[in-house]
Formats: sequence, structure tokens, C-alpha cells
Amino acid sequence: MRILISELRPWLKLLARRRARMALGALLLALTVGAAIGLLALSGWFITATALTGAMLAAGMAASLEVYAPGGGIRFFAVLRTVARYLERVYNHDSVLRLLAELRSGMFAVLARLDARALGQRRASEWLNRLTADIDTLDSLYLRLLAPPLVALLAIALVSGLLGIFLLPAGLAVGAVLLALWAWLVIGQACLGMAASTRRVATLDHLRGRILETLQGLAELKSYGTLSQHRARIDADQAALYADQWQLGRVAALGNALVGLGVSLAAVLALWLAAEAYRAEALSGPLMVMMPLAVLAMGEALGALPASFTGLGATRAAARRLNALGRSRSVLSEPESPAVPVAGAPGVRLRNVTLTYPGALTPALDGLDLSLEPGERLALLGASGAGKSSVAALLVRLLDPDQGEVLRDDIPLVDVSLDELRTRTAYLTQHSELFDDSIAANLRLAQPEATEASLWHVLELVELADWARELAHGLETRVGEGGRQLSGGQARRLVLARVLLLDAPLVILDEPFAGLDRPMAARIAERLDTWLCGRTVLYLVHQLRHDGSDPPGILRSLTLRDGRLG
Amino acid sequence: MKATTDVMPANDASHQESLTPKRWLKELAAGERRRLTLATLAGLGVGLCTIVQMLLLAIIIDRLLTGAPEAPVGVLFVALIGVLGVRALAQWAQETTAQAASLAIRGRARAALLDHLTALGPVRLSSRHSAGLGSQLVEQVEALDGYFARFLPQLRLATALPLLIFAIVLGLDWLAAIFLLLAAPLIPLFMALVGMGAQRLNQAQFAAVTRLSGHFLDRVRGITTLQLFGRTATAAAEVFAAADDYRARSMKTLRIAFLSSAVLEFFASVAIAVIAIYVGFGLLGYITYGPSSSLTLFSGLTILLLAPEFFQPLRSLSQHYHDRAAALGAAEALVAILNETPPETFERRSADSGNNDALVRLSEACVEHAGRGQVLGPVSLEVSRGEVIALTGPSGAGKSTLLQLIAGFVAPSEGSAEVMSERRPAWMDQRPLVIQGTIADNLRLADTQASDERMQAALQRAGLAGLLSRLPEGLDTPVGERGAGLSGGQAQRLALARVFLSDAALVLLDEPTASLDEDSEAEVAASLARLVEEGRTLIIATHHPALMAMAHRVVRIQAGQQVEEATA
Repeated sequence: MRILISELRPWLKLLARRRARMALGALLLALTVGAAIGLLALSGWFITATALTGAMLAAGMAASLEVYAPGGGIRFFAVLRTVARYLERVYNHDSVLRLLAELRSGMFAVLARLDARALGQRRASEWLNRLTADIDTLDSLYLRLLAPPLVALLAIALVSGLLGIFLLPAGLAVGAVLLALWAWLVIGQACLGMAASTRRVATLDHLRGRILETLQGLAELKSYGTLSQHRARIDADQAALYADQWQLGRVAALGNALVGLGVSLAAVLALWLAAEAYRAEALSGPLMVMMPLAVLAMGEALGALPASFTGLGATRAAARRLNALGRSRSVLSEPESPAVPVAGAPGVRLRNVTLTYPGALTPALDGLDLSLEPGERLALLGASGAGKSSVAALLVRLLDPDQGEVLRDDIPLVDVSLDELRTRTAYLTQHSELFDDSIAANLRLAQPEATEASLWHVLELVELADWARELAHGLETRVGEGGRQLSGGQARRLVLARVLLLDAPLVILDEPFAGLDRPMAARIAERLDTWLCGRTVLYLVHQLRHDGSDPPGILRSLTLRDGRLG
Repeated sequence: MKATTDVMPANDASHQESLTPKRWLKELAAGERRRLTLATLAGLGVGLCTIVQMLLLAIIIDRLLTGAPEAPVGVLFVALIGVLGVRALAQWAQETTAQAASLAIRGRARAALLDHLTALGPVRLSSRHSAGLGSQLVEQVEALDGYFARFLPQLRLATALPLLIFAIVLGLDWLAAIFLLLAAPLIPLFMALVGMGAQRLNQAQFAAVTRLSGHFLDRVRGITTLQLFGRTATAAAEVFAAADDYRARSMKTLRIAFLSSAVLEFFASVAIAVIAIYVGFGLLGYITYGPSSSLTLFSGLTILLLAPEFFQPLRSLSQHYHDRAAALGAAEALVAILNETPPETFERRSADSGNNDALVRLSEACVEHAGRGQVLGPVSLEVSRGEVIALTGPSGAGKSTLLQLIAGFVAPSEGSAEVMSERRPAWMDQRPLVIQGTIADNLRLADTQASDERMQAALQRAGLAGLLSRLPEGLDTPVGERGAGLSGGQAQRLALARVFLSDAALVLLDEPTASLDEDSEAEVAASLARLVEEGRTLIIATHHPALMAMAHRVVRIQAGQQVEEATA
């Protein structure tokens, strides 16, 4: 229980920041429930009062009943219930969406501090979808798990108070029964459903993985004739998922049945006690009828609790995953008193660096020593997976090493502020990453204040200027999701232009001319050669061809193999 | 010697009517008719118990207030508690039975989809995005839940229960029944309103959520770039702005959508209020019209207590309406899969081979793909035992189709394709299958009975002995989902180890080194050479010189035709 609260605490804190809004939402919810109780209670009282008065009138006795106030009251509660419910739904959905905006941008800020170990996972896009779904699970924390039990408590207090005014024992007894029911619905249901609902997402992921591997490996499975054995694995995974769902379904059904039973029993108890009092002439007939009816209306206040609390584990699991992300060792540290790197081309050194990716069977870098003199151009060669990108990631602190250290002008990189380091290092990654935005906006990521002229200048360097001038919207042309509107070669040159715009003293270029034809590569290389003067340059290349298509000005080259210099 | 030949049976699949989402849902429901009917009956039981409960309450109150003093009510209280117990049981039964039906239906739907996808075969699946298929078979099948577990039983109750209550009220006081009846013609209107509201809401929400998620995912996918340029703070602000804009927009839709259910609530509330006031005034004798004079506390109270129950099934139904929308949306996508006709299947029959040396014999074989016409052929090719054949040619020329034909994944539309072996050929392509489980689990896919020694030997021949020796858990080392932890080359060699483990005489390889770097490619080539030493026959579709150098013959395919053959 304490663990559960500590897991949810960061998210509850977030809710607490909007305390007033949450309280108002809960109040509207309570008003809806209160109106339902009022409507039934007052109607019961009214009908009984009229019946008794009518009977006396019929018997020729003098009797009178003021009918307009209760009649008006009934109409008032009827309208109030509808209006309060409508307002409550609109207001609370607005709150949830506000929360969603905060959660998403907050989570983005957490992600932005993560290193490439966490971000570069094999199944990045699915992992991100998972993350988005977890955020969406948490945004309903208030509407499903916080407000309803509080409002139910309020309604219990209201009903038992109302009964207690007229008949204290009835108020106390009903209050006790309803409180016990409430406690079961919140705590009992949560406990019974916790394990199964916490597992749900993981079990679903497992099943999805199984189905995917079957579909992708269908040819192999068919040719070895082991498809049916493999299908048995899927069936077993689905059986595990459905065993949990069956358990959750039964628990929720138990809760729902208990709501109906508990509320009705409380109403019967109220009627019994009220009947005793009526016979003892301690209570009027209309008030006696009002009591069970008021209690019956509690069904509405408690009805949503079983489903929500049976599934509490799902919210807990989502919170757990997101908490873990924020606390993981993958969060890059910022120095407390950052050192300021000197201007000009820096020297760079990796000292005995070891790096292992999570889940990998072997390290990506294994005791690597490497240095670059100021202004030097070094080519780091090696097959894909040899560790070249890991070296680059270390130099811009997309990663920190497990062992060893990385120095820039003899200052450990961890002592330099992340933004400072990154704006002083231009890194052209292997993938041409573009945003669904305009050409200009994609370029200005490197330098938000860049003038139009400087944008054209870098486009000239990569031979995109003529093409861009032909476009109907020029620099404002959108590049599509992931740059899909551009050809591979154009996208490559555009990201190269963006790196040039950064104007940094340390430049890392990973296969800068990938996907370009040889003459164009040679022309761009020539311009690049001039531009790179006075900077320290690290090229990451598969292998040197020595045919004029290699990056310009390489003085020294080293080959990486399995994370070591070979 | 025995051989297998592909024989095509007549196939009527094309005559099948195409399935619609609604019909599919109906068929699925029909498969669980017994449980779904039980659930509805239990729900009816709940309704009946509620009615009896209200009647008993009214009788008790009536006796207490208008009966003789000390009139016996104890037995009625006992009966009331008994009814409440029965009602709780019935409610539990309704929910659990419907849940069981839904679980069975979803299991069956997923099995049918998997069967169908397997029948479509590797050839047809290759054109689909497998991650998308995975989520369809998991999430979208799960999205059918609410429809069967809640909406369908409630749909029947929403007609039956209000009718029953109406009949009872009619018997008690026809004027009060008319108030309910006045609301009744509005019921279809409510339904339409709620339905349209829910659907519009669903569509609008879906579009907006997709747009928002797109924006969010775009920023998150590119987060490395944002980190590299130190732009993450700006991007976080943009994420907030987009989400807040989404909020403002969707609130506009929501305000209107909530109105429709508010209207339903309003009518329910007002009807109850009107009935309460009518009954009250009638009891006072203010109303002299019609049946009002014969109203009693019992009948008045019963009517008042039953009025909310008249609207309750409808309100529940409207709450479950989005379940229907969700299920229909999912069914649409899933039915599209089911409507895809599987390629013509065939059985392999043993046949005698005239030539002892030939392992594969294609004569004038052609392959047609639905909608694309003839993609291969006519091709004639004979492969002897122990031969290594390289298939080359531009991508899309038909190399893969030729391999698939030999593997038996597609049938020849014309000509014949024979493989003179009782064992199916082993298969390997550029995306090796790695299942969640241990290395041993992965190897046993090729031979479920393989011993540890044989598996170790196979790993060694595939060039993985070095890796194995570094793993403390050896063969029991778990490999993650889709080979997490293994490099591309290691995964490829794991698939090769499976080939070594199998006793397939013929090995078909579709671009086995396409996604590997040169070092890994060389190691795979070395392993393939060991396969050849074992006397296996290899047919390799490849562009890579290292693999082509191994071949005894190079067959070049262009535009589905065999254009040249060179002996290496």
C-alpha cells in the first residue's frame, strides 16, 4: 500500500498543482449525485405525505399539505441533476485534456535528458507508442481513481447525515454499512485485481511479440514443419492473457453485484429502523419512506468504483514504467559548476572506454583509447556495429561510458553543460532525421536566428539551392513526415547543410556522402574541404575507397573491429 | 526413388462472398449464442428481481402506513432480502457469462485470423507491414471485447425491460403509463441522437488523437536530433502547445456530443419528476380525471420506484455505445484481412523420379500473383544433388518467387515444379526468425528433439562457437524479443545453425547477407561452404560476389524470365 502510494506520488503531485480545478470538478460530480439522492428522497416523501393527507381528507378529517414547495423541489432536483451532469462532464474532460498536455510535455522533457542507450532501443517506435499509451492511462488517474471515491465518501456522509438528522440510529447504521461497502470496493477490489491488471500490458506485449515472430518467420516455420508447435506457444500466451482477464472480469462482476446488494441492504436496513421508529411514533410516515429511497440513490455514486479499482494495477504499472524512465541510469547528468570549453578547434581523447548496450551479449566498445589533435581530420573505419557511432555518441554525450573517460581539451565531458557541448559539436548522424516542417524550420534547428542569406549559403554548399529556388514555396516547402517528400539524396544533403549551419569547432560526419553519386560527392567534398579548415574533424566511414569519393583531407585512419582498434 | 510433386486441387475460394464487418460480428456472436443468451436471460433476471424488490418495498411501506398497526411485515423483509440475494447472483452470472463469451469469441477470432494469415503464406505476407499486423491481431481483436461482453446483452435488455415495466405501470395506472409512453417514442430518437453523437465523437476524437500523436511521435522520434542541436526545451514547449490546441479543439466537439446524452438524462429526470408530482396530486385528490382517483400509496409508490428503472437499461446502453463503435472500427480492419483470398494451395504427392541425380526439376513453370498477373516464367531448371546455384538479377525480377515456388509456398500456374525429396527444403532469408526464448528454443524450431551436443555442433558449424563460449548460460541464454541482444550477423548465423540442425537436403536462401556488413558476410559465406561440404544442395538468390563465387552455376533472372546461365 505504501509502495503503491509512493509510486503514484509524482502523479498525484501533478494533480495537486491544479487543486482548485480538481476540487471544482469533484464538486460538480458530487452535485450530480446529490441531486439524484434529493430527487428520489423528496419524491418518496412527497408521495407518502400526499397519500396520508389524501386518506385523511377522504376520511373527512381536516388536513392540508403545502404542495408547491416540494413539487418545485422535485423539479429543481430533476433539472439540477441533468445540468450538473452535463457541466461535470464538460469541465472534467477539459481538466483531463489539460493534464494530458502537461504530462506529454513533461514526459518529453524527461526523454530529452535520456541517453542513446534508452532512446536507441531496437524497437524504438513501439516503445514510444507504449510510452504514449502509459501517459494516456495516467491522465485518467483523476477522473477514474481520485474523484469518484472521494465523491462517494461525500455522498455517504450526505445520506447518513440526512438520515441521522431525523433518526440517529438509522444514520449511523446506514453510514457504517455504506462505509464498509466503500472500503471493500476501493481496497478489496484493488487487492483482488492488482496482480492480474499490473501484468496486463506486459502479457499483451508478449503475445504481440509471439504473433509478430510467427508472421515474420512464417517461411522458416513452414519449411521446418514446426508451425503447429509454434502456434502452441501463441495459444499458451493467449491463455495466460485470458486467464488474467477472466480473473479481472470475475472480480469486477463481484464488485458490481456487491454495489447492488450492499446499497439495497442498506436501504432495507434504513426502512427497518425507520419502521420501528414509526411504530414507536418517533418518526412520521413520509420521513420513514424518504429514508430507504435516499439510500437507494447511492447506487449511482458507488457504481463506477468496482471497474476502476479492479484495474488499479494498470495505472500502477504505467506509473512504474514512467517513474523508472525518469530515474534510470540513462538520465544524463548536468555538471553543477560547468566548465567552459575554450574556443577554437579542440583536441579530443577517449581513455580506456568501455560501453555495453542493455541486453547486448558483448560490449560495443571494449577498453578503447583514441585521440584527435586540434585541427586533425581522422577517419574511423569499420563495419556497421563495430562501434563507430558509439564513439561519436560519446563525444556529444548522447551516451556516457560505463568505464573510462572522454576528454575535450583535457576537460572531462561530464563537466561541460550539455547544451554548451552540443552547440560546439556538429554531428551528422547516419540517419537523415527530418521533422514534418518546412525546409527553413528544419535548417534553423541548428541556429534559430540564422538569416535567410545564411540558409541559402549552406544550401549552396550542398547543391540544394537551385532545387530550392525552383520550389513554389521555396524555403517554406514542407518536407513531410520524416522528410518523406524528399529523395534520399536530397534529405542527406539537407541534414548536411543543417550541420554546416551550426558552425561548430568539432565536426563528426558519419558517411557524409551516402546515397550521393560520385561526381556530386566530389564537388561537395571540395567545398567541404575549405569549410572544414580550422576545425577538428572525425569521419565515420565503412571503408576508404581511394577513388575520389572519400571525404576530404583525411590524414590518418583507424579501424574499429568489435569495439577495439584493429 | 520417391519424390514430391505439386498438385493443385480445384479452388472455389473466389466464389466466396466477401465478408462485411457487421456480418462477421454476427457470425462471431452466433458461435457463442448459448452463453450470450444465458447472459441476456440473467440480465432479465436482474430486471425482474429489481421489479419484485420495488414491489416488495411498496407493499411493506403500504402495510406499515395504511395497514393495521402491528401488521406482520417481518416475512416481507425476509422475502426482500432473499430477492436481493438472487438479484446479486443473477447480476454476477450476467457479467461473468458475457465475459466468458467475449473471451471465447476473441480467442476464436484471433485463431481464425492467424489461420488465414498462415494460409496467405510468406509470399502474401511479405507485402504487409508486420508490426501493423501484430497490433491488429492483438489490439484490434481485444477491441471487440466491449461489444460482446456488454453491448450485445444490453441491447436486448434495453427493449425487453422497459416493455415489462411499462406493462406493470399500465396495470397500476394508465395515465402514469402514458407519461412513460410519451417518453417512449422519444426513445428511438434518443438512441439515434446518442448513436450519432457517439459516432461523431469517436471519429472526431480519433482524427484529433491521430494528429496529436503524430506530432508527439514526430518530435520524439527525432529527439536525438533535437538533443544534438540543444533544441529540446523549445520542442517541449511545442509539444505542450500542440496538446493544448488539441484540447481547445476537442472541447468544442465534446460540448456538443455530451448534449445528446444530457438530453436523454433530462427526459428521464423530468419524466420521473412529472410522475412523482402527478402521483402526489392524484393521491391528494386534486386530479379527478381518469384513473387518478383510484391511486393508492402502494400503486403510487410502485410507479415512482419503477420509473427510473424504465430508463435505466437505456442509459446503460448509451454508455456502452462506444463499445459498438470501437468493435465496428476494429472489425472493418480485420475483415479486410479475412477477405483476402489465400493463394491456391496444393498438396505434395510422392512420385517416382526418373533421374536419380536431379533434386529439383522445374519444367516450363509459371507463377501468377492475384492482381499482378504472371510474375515468373516460364522457367525450366534442373538442379542436381550437391549443386550450388546462385540466382541473380535486378530486384523484383522474380528471384524470390522462384525460391518460393521451389519451397512450395506458391503453386505453379502452369508447368510443373518437383522436388525429389521427402524432406521439405530448409529456408533462410534476410530477416532470420528469432523467437523470444533461449538459444536452444530457437534451434529446436528446426528439430524439436535435438540434443545439446547436436545443437552445439550446429552452432559451431554456423560460426557461433565463439559467442557460445562467452555465454555463461550457454544454450539456455535467453534472447530477447526479435533477437534483442544479437547483432544482425549473429541472428543470421543462428538461423544458419538451424539449417545445419535440420536434415533438409535442399537449402533455399533468399538474399541471406543483404543486411550484413562485409565481415559478417564472409563468416556466413564460410558457414555456407561447410553446408556444401555436407553434401547439401543450395539455391541462393544474391547479389554478393562472395556468395556468387561459391556457386557451381549462376542463373540470371530478368522480368520473370531466365535470361542466361553461366557455369562458374
